[in-house]
Amino acid sequence: MLTEVKNQIKVNILSTKYALEREMLNKVTFVSNIIFMILNNASFIVQWVILYAIKDNIGGYSFKQVLLLWGLAAMGYGVSRFFFKNAFNLSDMINTGKLDNYLVQPKNVLLAAITSDVEVSALGDILYAYIILLIYGLSLKSFLLFTLFGITAGFILASVSVIFSSLAFWFGRVEVISNTLNSIMTNFATYPEGIFKGIIKILFYTILPLGFASYLPVQIMTNFNIYNLLVVIFIVLLFIGLAFLTFYKGLRKYSSTNLMNARV
Amino acid sequence: MKKYIYIFKSELMTNLQYIFDIIVGFISYCIMIFIFFNLWKYIYSDPSELINGYSMGQMIWYVIVTEILWMSLGGRQLSKKICNDVRSGNIAYNINKPYNYVGYILFSHMGLFLLKFILLTILGVVLGLIFLGSFPNISILSIVLVLISCLFATIINILLITTIALISFYIEDANPFYWLYSKVILILGTIFPIEFFPVFLQPIFKYSPIYVVSYGPAKLFVDFNWNSCIEIFILQGAYLILSILLSNFIYKKGVRKLNVNGG
Repeated sequence: MLTEVKNQIKVNILSTKYALEREMLNKVTFVSNIIFMILNNASFIVQWVILYAIKDNIGGYSFKQVLLLWGLAAMGYGVSRFFFKNAFNLSDMINTGKLDNYLVQPKNVLLAAITSDVEVSALGDILYAYIILLIYGLSLKSFLLFTLFGITAGFILASVSVIFSSLAFWFGRVEVISNTLNSIMTNFATYPEGIFKGIIKILFYTILPLGFASYLPVQIMTNFNIYNLLVVIFIVLLFIGLAFLTFYKGLRKYSSTNLMNARV
Repeated sequence: MKKYIYIFKSELMTNLQYIFDIIVGFISYCIMIFIFFNLWKYIYSDPSELINGYSMGQMIWYVIVTEILWMSLGGRQLSKKICNDVRSGNIAYNINKPYNYVGYILFSHMGLFLLKFILLTILGVVLGLIFLGSFPNISILSIVLVLISCLFATIINILLITTIALISFYIEDANPFYWLYSKVILILGTIFPIEFFPVFLQPIFKYSPIYVVSYGPAKLFVDFNWNSCIEIFILQGAYLILSILLSNFIYKKGVRKLNVNGG
């Protein structure tokens, strides 16, 4: 079992490595994609500098905490889009029969499909996240927690996308809905939880699990609590499990299309 | 001109076929307005309080208008399309057609914009009334002028994005330049009015694209006065001429570098 998991991870790392090498063929585009993404993200600091000039506490967050929230959001986005890019194209792959390529491979279909491509600009998000961590205050503890929560946030975002995209097995074209949900998650992830009230807060800890991807990790990093850390890890495992369950349940209903495509 | 109107019409009709997708995409707009409503409600402890000359109601309506302009523009889609046209060599199919490529892009994209703009304006007004319960004190004539200003703002924006995307003739992928442009417009013109920035930056912003593509129409809507109106239209006129010249210049220069292989 353990050897199987090890082999699977090895295959997925190789798949990501080859996809990255493909993207690196044009060095200028590769580097400019990363640099511009860092600049793109950095522009939002202006927004918060202006808001904090008006009020020194927004939604219970200090400026430093908002920076941390931004860093974690960028890291989660970066990890999910770099390592699992196709989790965000999955409904299209299902509808156009592109899953055929992965069904014949001897490894896990879902992992093979979602790790087969990388989003280069997402490397810019990850680098930006660590720059934010430097500004926030770098220590061994903050580095380890930040990295851990970046990875867990990436897993949560990718899992949620897989769950909603897998609905394509039953309902066909769900791209618009899954894309909208993904963009909702990204939009909310950069604003302090405290400005929202009522039912929306319940959504953050259920179907839009930003609470576990961003808000709780910020709390843990500013005020360490082992119980909350275990909750985050448990929820991540739960969402990963749900993603596999939904995908494989749907896969039984998968029928290919007559669309011819070559994978190069 | 007739052919461009035909392009505009056919694009509009095509997009009408995907009206459901367009409407579902508006959920993001509702979310953005919801976020900003909550954010400004939190910041304005008293709704009648003025921050940099704006009341809470004016701030929300400002964001409603700028977000309508931003989301109906579909800038990312436009930039991606032009970059792909250049990279894939598809642009070669347009070269031998009896129209100007920049004109084709402008009119075909306006077909998508107009549909989204009408629907988003209805949605924006409904959301504003739900969240705030009141409409800005503005005459019918002023609303017509705001709408004309929105139209100019979009044409300028499309031409500027086209100019940026055509940089793909020189480097393979110009999309990152678009990201930067979009963030500058988003942060400096969409989320906040110019008055929220340091005084020494305000004159710079006034002569930048931010003023004509985003701030101008929204400012007219929340605080209409004739002096601002004339000033905004003069600046939009200047930017319109500049963006037409610039986009055509980069296209004509770039297309000479085009090298299409295979078929």
